[in-house]
Order: sequence, then C-alpha cells, then structure tokens
Amino acid sequence: MSKRQLAMAMDLNKCIGCQTCTIACKTLWTRDEGMDYMWWNSVNTQPGLGTPRNWENMGGGFKDGVAQAGQLPTKADFGEAWQYNHEEVFYGGKGQNVHLQIQGETPNWGPNWDEDQGGGTYPNSYFFYLPRICNHCTNPACVAACPRKAIEKREEDGIVLINEDRCRGYRFCMEACPYKKIYFNHSKGVSQKCIFCYPRIEQGVANACARQCPGRVRFVGYRDDENGPIYKLVEKWKVAVPLHPEYGTDPNVFYVPPTGPLRFDENGNLDPTSPRIPEDYIRHLFGQPGIEALAIMLEEREKVRKGGKSEVLDILIAYKWSEMFGGFDRDPATIEWDNNGPINKA
Amino acid sequence: MKANYLAGVDTATLLDPKSNAWNQPKAETFKLMGTPLGMQPTELIRSSWAKKKIGQVESIKVQAAHNGETIAFRIEWATKAPSMTNGDNSIFPDGAAVALPADARAPVITMGAQGMPINAWYWRANDGGHGRQLSAEGIGTSETLDMEFVKTNGVYENGHWSVVIARALKIESKKPVAQLEVGQDAKFGVAIWDGKNQERGGIKAFTGGAWLDLSLEAGK
Ligand code: SF4
Ligand code: SF4
Repeated sequence: MSKRQLAMAMDLNKCIGCQTCTIACKTLWTRDEGMDYMWWNSVNTQPGLGTPRNWENMGGGFKDGVAQAGQLPTKADFGEAWQYNHEEVFYGGKGQNVHLQIQGETPNWGPNWDEDQGGGTYPNSYFFYLPRICNHCTNPACVAACPRKAIEKREEDGIVLINEDRCRGYRFCMEACPYKKIYFNHSKGVSQKCIFCYPRIEQGVANACARQCPGRVRFVGYRDDENGPIYKLVEKWKVAVPLHPEYGTDPNVFYVPPTGPLRFDENGNLDPTSPRIPEDYIRHLFGQPGIEALAIMLEEREKVRKGGKSEVLDILIAYKWSEMFGGFDRDPATIEWDNNGPINKA
Repeated sequence: MKANYLAGVDTATLLDPKSNAWNQPKAETFKLMGTPLGMQPTELIRSSWAKKKIGQVESIKVQAAHNGETIAFRIEWATKAPSMTNGDNSIFPDGAAVALPADARAPVITMGAQGMPINAWYWRANDGGHGRQLSAEGIGTSETLDMEFVKTNGVYENGHWSVVIARALKIESKKPVAQLEVGQDAKFGVAIWDGKNQERGGIKAFTGGAWLDLSLEAGK
C-alpha cells in the first residue's frame, strides 16, 4: 500500500454525459500516434454495454487473492477511431454539397455507441451516465499481472503508472484489469492508460477531466485528508462508493449512485415508495454499499427539504468550484515554464 | 554446432535467409520445449496458462555462420498460422531470440541470475528488421540495451519462417553483452514465440535448460 492515496469521487446525479471530460483528456494526453482509439476517460450510458463493449463480462480482477486473466478487449470492442472526409468537406470547396461521412467500412460499434438507450420500460424507463477512468486501485490487478514489473504504484500518492521503457507490450495487465481501462498502443508496442494527470497533480493542478467538467461532478484529493472532499464523501458520509467492489482491486474512484427520477405507478401517479432505477441494478454496480449510499442521500435531501442543513449535500452541490479539488486548485495558467519544465513549482 | 567462416560474404548477404551463402553451413535440428509453468513470474500467468500448451513450435533448424566480423544465426521453423502483427489486440507477433551468456556462469533456464547476465538478440515479426539487444539477470528482468547492434530479417514462405539474427562478433559496450572470438567456442540457446497462441514474454518454446555448443570456425 502507498503512503498516501489520491482519489476521485464522481456524483452520478450531476453528470450530464457531455463528454467534456473525455475530450479534455483526449486533447491533453492521447493525440500521439497509436493513441487514436484510446479514451482514457470514457462516459457511457447505463444500463448499457459500455466501453469496451461488454467490459463487465470480460473477467479479470482477483479471485481468492489471485489475479485472474480475463479477456483481451479488441480494438473493435473499444471502437475503432473512425476516419472522416475532413479534407473534402473543410478544404475541398464542397462544404455545401458533401457531408461528413465515416470512411471505409460502416462501423457497428463505437466508444459511446449505446448512448441514451438505457433500460426499463415506459413510463419508467431510466438511464444515467457513468464516467470511468483507471481506478488507480489500492490492489491493482495490472501490477500483479505484469511479469516485468513495468507497472508502478507510486509510494507518495498511489497513482498507478506504466513505465513505457520497461513495458514490452505483453498485455497481461489488459487481461487482468477488470475495468478494462488499459489500451495497447500498436505504434509504440506498449500498453497505456490514464495517468491521473500526474504532471498536473505534481504542480498542484487538478486532473483535466475534473477541472473541465461543467457539471461539477468530480472531486479530487487525498483519501486521508479529513478536510478534503474525498474523505468527507467516502469515509465520513459514505455516499461515495467504488464501482464493482467484488472485483477485488480496491478502486480509488468513488461514485455517488444516482437516485434517479421518481417512478410512476399503474395509474400514472408518482410513486415514491420504490425507486425508478431498480435496486438490483444499483447493487449490481456498487454492491450493498450503493444501496446504503442512496438511503443516506435520500435522508439528507429530506432533511434539507424540511429546512435543515446538510454538509454532504452542500459538498455535492459544489458551491465553490475550487473547493472540489482537495487543495489541487492551482490555475495551470499561473505556471511558468522553461525548457526544463515549470520554474515556479507548486 | 559449427558457425562456418564464410570469407568475403558481406553482412547484408548473411541477413538474407534465402541467399546461397546459407547453402554451406550445416543445419542442425533442435527439439524445443515449452517454458515450465512454475517458472512463470506471476500467479496470473501461472493460473491462466495451467491448461494451455506453452510452446507451439516443437522443433527448429539452426545454421550459423560468420564473416570474421559478424555472426549470423539462421533459424527455420514450420507454422501454418504466422502472426505478423498484434492483430486486434488479442494476438502477438511471432518472435525469435538467440541467447548467449554474458557471464560464463549464467544459467540459461532462468535467463541468467543476479550478477550473471545473459545477452539476448531478439527478432519480432513486426519490427521491420530492427533487432533488439537485451540483457537479463533472471526471469522478468530483461532490459533493452539498444536497438542498433542486432540486425534481423525474417521471411515467411511455404509454411515456414526463416529468420536471420546477426550481430558483430565483438561490440564496444560497457553493458553485459557477449563478446565472441573467431576460432573459439561459445554457448547459445534459442527461443521461439508463436504469436497466434498468445505467446509472449516468458510464454515461449526454447532449446531447454542446457546451453548449446557453438564453435566459430577460424579464418583460413
Ligand atoms: S483500474 Fe485496472 S489499470 Fe487501473 S489500477 Fe485498477 S487494475 Fe490497474
Ligand atoms: S464533463 Fe462532467 S458532466 Fe460532462 S460527461 Fe464528464 S463527468 Fe459528466
């Protein structure tokens, strides 16, 4: 275990599925060769097959303490990076009569293919968005799997990083990661994944996905910082819980489960006695702690409804954006650089 | 086995597995074995390969030759399903490597041991001829030394891979590499990876726990 652990908590009641986080990550980290199909941050509609397709049934994680080899997700499972006729439309003088079109074979899957489909039946259909990054697990299956000790869990903050100089592209980590959050770079021949924006973190700047999120969904900070949002949401109020805890990796990304809208009864009246998002589905994703987190949320809402105050709801509302980042609130524009890196360090 | 001295044959010719220069050196056939399951370095690998065959390639034909400066190994094996790429993520490129002791005491079965490095010259079907030179002091410890000294060339034809792996007999390097001498004896081993069988890393077929003998023919 690392000395300290950085973590992220995401409030699924607030995520609007805008993919700003996804694009923030893409433009910052995955524009190089071989990275075109990578989405270190992905946001999918639940219930749904997700990214990579059907990842929840691909295996991996721990069983009786032993890291398991699951499936290797294919490029098609992740969704190939489609090529468009940008040249023709933007620069070919045909902007009025030619449409942007995917070139080559018509795809039958992509990284956000089942967007907004969700589940349930009218009038009680439902969906919500689930953003995912690497969970920088406390017990990372990827680290356990690698025969070359190419994956390091940093002592100082628990960030899990693949050392591309040691990686030889064997992909045992991809088999082992139960969240299927590792990609293989076919140009460089190495595995790559979310780096928790460690170069930003080292300068006191929160992750790009978190800072850019217009929904104020994402909280960042050390797990043991009792004044920070992570400690309060995870340990103190227990409203933020890990995804698929049964995978056994002890993830450090936490979710406030979605309460969802009210359910209609047979007569078309609102029925508050049972949730629209089936408990079984919440339990499938988050286990019993997910159900308990929802109960706390509803209780706190009721408290506020009756005129009371709720610390946890105030945190989740995120009145002050800068307070979401557990001290990692430096404006990246204040960093001055020379050729050796930042000169006014955090 | 013997590495014939092919006077006046340049390295480019040696690197061509179809060149006539390879008519002369005698080919020897070696039976390969899969690396033992218990030696795989992580539990995930041991448990996931417990019921799968490690080492699809069961035998190879090896020839060796040098031109006084460069030594080349020509390795040939049959495979109906060659793998040239990483495919859709779920397969691996075929590979071959020649290992040599960089320390006389180095065991081959464990890829060397601490303080007793081995040196490996490595070909992968998708590397475009850029060989890779590695050293290792035990399983899972291999380090890339450079991508410049080892030259490789693989040709797949009629159900067979013919791969040449070559390097200067001596190189200037402070790293733990093998230095070979014309007219002297050396040791070597060979490993083959079958990519369609998801062989990579320690999952491979190899010539076994004992070094093979090599004698470098002296100049005439
Ligand atoms: S989510 Fe997967 S890749 Fe990330 S630390 Fe956990 S096991 Fe490793
Ligand atoms: S940027 Fe925020 S609101 Fe938009 S998809 Fe990402 S997490 Fe959800």
